[in-house]
Amino acid sequence: MRPFRALFAKELVVLFASPLAYLALALVALVTALIFFDHLRVYNQTLFLYASTNMRGFDTGSVPDYVNLRDTVFFPVMETLGITLIGLVPLVTMRVFAEERARGTDELLLTTDLSPGAIVGAKFAATYLFVAAMMATSFVYPAMAIVQGGLGAEHLAAVFLGLTLHAAALASIGLACSAWTGSQLVAAVAGWAVGFVVWDFGWVASFQLVSEDAVRFLDALSLHLRYGSFAEGIVSLGHVAYFVALAAFAAALARFSFVWRRVSGG
Amino acid sequence: MSALALCGWIALAFGAGTVYAVGAEGWFGRANLAAGALALAAAAVRAALRARGASASAFRGPLARGAAGVALALAGGVGLERAVTATGVRFDWSFERRFELSEATRRALAELGTVEAILFAEPLDPRARSTRLLLGELAATGRLRVRERALGEAAEEEDRFGVAGSNTVVLLAGGRSETVDRPTEGTIYEALYALRAREAGVAYVMRGAGEGDLSDAAPGGYSGLAAALETEGFRVRELVTATGAEVPDDADLVIALAPRRPLREEALAALERHLARGGRLVAFLEPGAQSGLEPLLARWGLASPDALVVDPASGALAGDPPGVNPLAYSYATTHPIARGLDASRMTFFRRARAFAPRPPEPEDRVQGVVFSSPRAWLAEPGAAARDGGPPPRPAGAEEDYHPLVAAGRYARDGRETRIVAFGDAELASNRYLRTLYNLDLVLNAALWAAEREPDIAIRPKAVVSGRLQLPLPVPDTFTMFQGLGLLLPEALLLAAALAWARARSA
Repeated sequence: MRPFRALFAKELVVLFASPLAYLALALVALVTALIFFDHLRVYNQTLFLYASTNMRGFDTGSVPDYVNLRDTVFFPVMETLGITLIGLVPLVTMRVFAEERARGTDELLLTTDLSPGAIVGAKFAATYLFVAAMMATSFVYPAMAIVQGGLGAEHLAAVFLGLTLHAAALASIGLACSAWTGSQLVAAVAGWAVGFVVWDFGWVASFQLVSEDAVRFLDALSLHLRYGSFAEGIVSLGHVAYFVALAAFAAALARFSFVWRRVSGG
Repeated sequence: MSALALCGWIALAFGAGTVYAVGAEGWFGRANLAAGALALAAAAVRAALRARGASASAFRGPLARGAAGVALALAGGVGLERAVTATGVRFDWSFERRFELSEATRRALAELGTVEAILFAEPLDPRARSTRLLLGELAATGRLRVRERALGEAAEEEDRFGVAGSNTVVLLAGGRSETVDRPTEGTIYEALYALRAREAGVAYVMRGAGEGDLSDAAPGGYSGLAAALETEGFRVRELVTATGAEVPDDADLVIALAPRRPLREEALAALERHLARGGRLVAFLEPGAQSGLEPLLARWGLASPDALVVDPASGALAGDPPGVNPLAYSYATTHPIARGLDASRMTFFRRARAFAPRPPEPEDRVQGVVFSSPRAWLAEPGAAARDGGPPPRPAGAEEDYHPLVAAGRYARDGRETRIVAFGDAELASNRYLRTLYNLDLVLNAALWAAEREPDIAIRPKAVVSGRLQLPLPVPDTFTMFQGLGLLLPEALLLAAALAWARARSA
């Protein structure tokens, strides 16, 4: 347990000693702020437009029901943030395994008491912690919309949970990609590619050759589908299990990369 | 990972992205997907060959164990997800509990047998997600099948069902259809109710002495009440009292909506005869009005002194001084009319009078159903507010629970007469009918009077709260949260600068 803790602590120190980590955190906070205020501006303009057209002030009867804080600001911000994370999270995960591999320090790690599984576990845990901090910073602006819109703390908790699980899933994908390469660039690009493909399998339905059953199966694997229900305030244990399963599969792949390297020599 | 695999991933991402964005497989998307798949397959084969070439027999064991670990994680993960999903455990943390189905909706579905729902939505309509979740919840009852159509994909169906825009649900059952253009549980419930096509009887609404108008759609009108009664299966007809005609024999219910002028003696006598032969009446009174209904109700044990209920527990509501518009939360929960209502399900009365229920005969059952708070008293109907507070309490006026709604059952010659009396009519107007639980109270009173107790329910709300439609000025929001919203990125950038400086000096 001690070497595990030491590696976990070392990963955290490396993460937080790097300017890149703080830049990523600041970038997430600023990008979210930009998306949020842009949607808020459009929402306010739409409301003013209806109010001035109808000459009835902000009488809710004069504004179409789809123009509201939740549907016009909060959900689109969450949607955009979900896609934005696909681009940002691999920037954090690309280094975790690939850097060790490029420097050859992964071999040193294997000479310690730590098994490949423990190494993977420590690195995944440290990255998840960082990702949770990242989500906390990104959540400041959408949270204020919920608080001001009176949507309730439980709904807020559901959205934050969904956002964190989504980011953790992207981190898992990024880590698995990082474990299979010595190049940080390759790890980041592979993380983006897999992330975008897994985000929404809806595009598969465009192919006439793909059967409806296959489309339904793939659709059920989409991150977007799982993440979306949290934004609506629904916490389904099935969706939580999906994210846990994805993380477990990614960790198993990362662990297997150690064995594979030993065998292939790559 | 080889360069070949990297190229494969890039091509795959561009291919999938193109198909997703365009919504059709063009040559660019197809070519990229094919190239990506080929590159990845080639990279995998090359890696496998390299591994085989490099592997000695000693490596085969760890390799097999590693691969088995991956397979096990995949199988375990899929199994876990499937098993947990099968339990169907989910929590509705949304503000208004939008996805928890009410008993009334479940019952409406059960009565219909199997219902088919078609959701017409544009692919990127954000509202459709909420509707899908709601339909999923309804489908989980096992009584609803859901289909989805992209808007514009089935023009003939859209014309047939009158689909006007995205996020519209069409419900089909027994060869009938109902179109819901703002799907919430409440509107879907109303459509399900309409699909049942059940006959609840005939409700006659008195006209001719300045009663509330059921054809008036203005906020002060009662068209909403008429629509709600029809949704519940009542056929609503007018009963013109000016002629002094008898109440028709097919009347299952007579509704008197606060006549402003005195009713003719003949009309009151006809109403009395209707009640004497086991008739049903729902009467709405107003403080300060004397229509002749009051003495009639008093003879049936529902006396109502002409006084205004002042309830200091209710604040200044609807632009009136505090206390004059009672917000009721005390109910006789054993009475069927109040079934499902409790302290958290309040009803709103706009100036009300009270009743002093007393059974005219020992076997009669007369009681209050909805009460003011125990701090309420009775004042003159025109009592004015003083110093921004409620109207003053007259000398001798006692604080008590004053019944705002009362009901009675009377056995006469083997028949049962039922009367419900409301101390206010505005609570049933278009402006206030859907306020809080007014609709449930009014409809449940009508259903009880018409002896349809099994249909008494708390209905899902058609209007979803929590959808804030007020402006949220950007400068205010920014200013209010700039402490956290701006400090955070700034602190993070400062930390990045420090980390960079430390790394440089090390």
